[in-house]
Amino acid sequence: MAQWQIAMIMMIGYLVVALFIGILAGRNQDKSSLEEFTTAKGNLGLFVMWFLMGGAVFSAFSFLGAPGWAFSRGAPALYIITYTAFAILPWYIIGPKIGAIGRKHNIYTVAGFLQLRYSSRLIAMIIGVIALLASIQYLATQMKGMAYIFNIMTEGRIPFWLGALLSYGIVVVYVATGGLRAAAWSDVFQGILMIIISWTVGLTIVNQLHDSVPNMFRNLTQDTPGFLQIGAEGSTMSAMAYTTTILVSTIGFLMWPHLFSKSYATKARTIKKTVLVYPLFALFLIPLLFVGFSAVNVIQSDQIGSPDEILPFLITTVLTLPGWVYGLVGAGALAAAMSTADAITHSASLEFTDGFVRNIKRDLSSKATLLIMRIGVFVIGGLAYFITVFGGQGLIALLLGAYGSIVQFAPGVYGALYSRKITAPAVITGLLAGTVTNYYFQLVTDSTPLDINPGILGLMVNIVLVIIVSSFTQGKEIPMAEEYRKVGS
Amino acid sequence: MTKQRFSKIYCLSLLVPFLLMVFPLFSIGNRETPFILGLPFSVFWVIFWIIITFLLVLFLYKMDPDKDEKEVH
Repeated sequence: MAQWQIAMIMMIGYLVVALFIGILAGRNQDKSSLEEFTTAKGNLGLFVMWFLMGGAVFSAFSFLGAPGWAFSRGAPALYIITYTAFAILPWYIIGPKIGAIGRKHNIYTVAGFLQLRYSSRLIAMIIGVIALLASIQYLATQMKGMAYIFNIMTEGRIPFWLGALLSYGIVVVYVATGGLRAAAWSDVFQGILMIIISWTVGLTIVNQLHDSVPNMFRNLTQDTPGFLQIGAEGSTMSAMAYTTTILVSTIGFLMWPHLFSKSYATKARTIKKTVLVYPLFALFLIPLLFVGFSAVNVIQSDQIGSPDEILPFLITTVLTLPGWVYGLVGAGALAAAMSTADAITHSASLEFTDGFVRNIKRDLSSKATLLIMRIGVFVIGGLAYFITVFGGQGLIALLLGAYGSIVQFAPGVYGALYSRKITAPAVITGLLAGTVTNYYFQLVTDSTPLDINPGILGLMVNIVLVIIVSSFTQGKEIPMAEEYRKVGS
Repeated sequence: MTKQRFSKIYCLSLLVPFLLMVFPLFSIGNRETPFILGLPFSVFWVIFWIIITFLLVLFLYKMDPDKDEKEVH
């Protein structure tokens, strides 16, 4: 049997198992319950929770992008494991607090959380729309990864559109039927698979190319000095850019609705234990960085289309590996992309329904809301699919802008948790100004002042405006402000 | 120990390793040599502090006075 056939059979086998687990997880649960669909009734256990949050880290970006960064940029790739280890830590303190507020007031989204605190429908609607656009962008990236891996591992026999349709179609089916619980259990299976694959395949590649890890680094520092040092001559990133990139990823991480709203899905103790074991996920990513380092000076960058192709390129073209390794890597990359895609699809549907639709049409029953969320899963899946397959420059710019804007939720969220003084007009002004600033520096200009990350520039404008506008708009007391601040502190 | 005090200790003690990972303090680790355990110094530095952070959170969890957030103030 040819290698691509073995690979294809393994990947399709993986997809069948993933579908099976997703559907089984949602079985015997109350299908008509809004609470089950949105937060799995708040009773997910530690093991599942850990992988559910971890699924966000093991994405198509980490599987294809991390080796790509290490290969093309060197030391700056360390930012990936740094922010992975640190970004979860604030959740230990804010997660239980958000969870307590959510349980008391029946909230299951970021939009709902901010709407109640600031008594503003406009905030919820803005959040709903930004979350939707940003999620579609995120999904399109994951789907490109899935389609790409299908294509290359079967040596071009499964076309791009079919690979994306197959793998993402399965995600949409199990999320729409089983809700959060299905996404969570699929993530457990996918997470374990990815960890095993990245270590075995990663270290095999390093050993085939350089005999051992120390040898690889010796070759690398001899042939390309400065590559593993940030801001040095020959380095690809300045100290300021490195630092602000870590900052923006660390602050923005928990603002992503699919992570933020997991605070509602479990108990305080589980949240804390999840944070506890989470830095291990950062360590799991290490071999993927090593794969990228190992290819430096072995592969010339003009041999591949983009740096993200380095891992599949090594496996299919450079190394002599058996067909089942093709299949394993294919399945691992699919698992990485799917475990991210399921959580994002789920939360995008929730945020848009809760933040936008429910504020336009205010008398929805919970049964109707649930139905809209289920349909939303299909609609969002379809939108992301068409963008992945057909592209469209203007649209992609819009989505990229939204993607970079998620971190701009931070002042509103932390203001809600810890301050009585922050007001709705201040949060709206800050959010919009921060989003525009980020958009401008990310997509219009070529460089930024002092090489600061555009998201951080937006955040600085955002925070200053929130403080100034809040001091001018102090008026009637917002009833929820004091309660939010007091809960769980 | 009160809950506020714990939160303060939690944030401050984890800020230390974080600051060691970003500039200006990352300048200490930002070099290729010496090699430690076969890793260039910058790679070792990042991995080392992630492991320390992991142990630090374990320790903090042990001294957390209110693991279930039952207390109401």
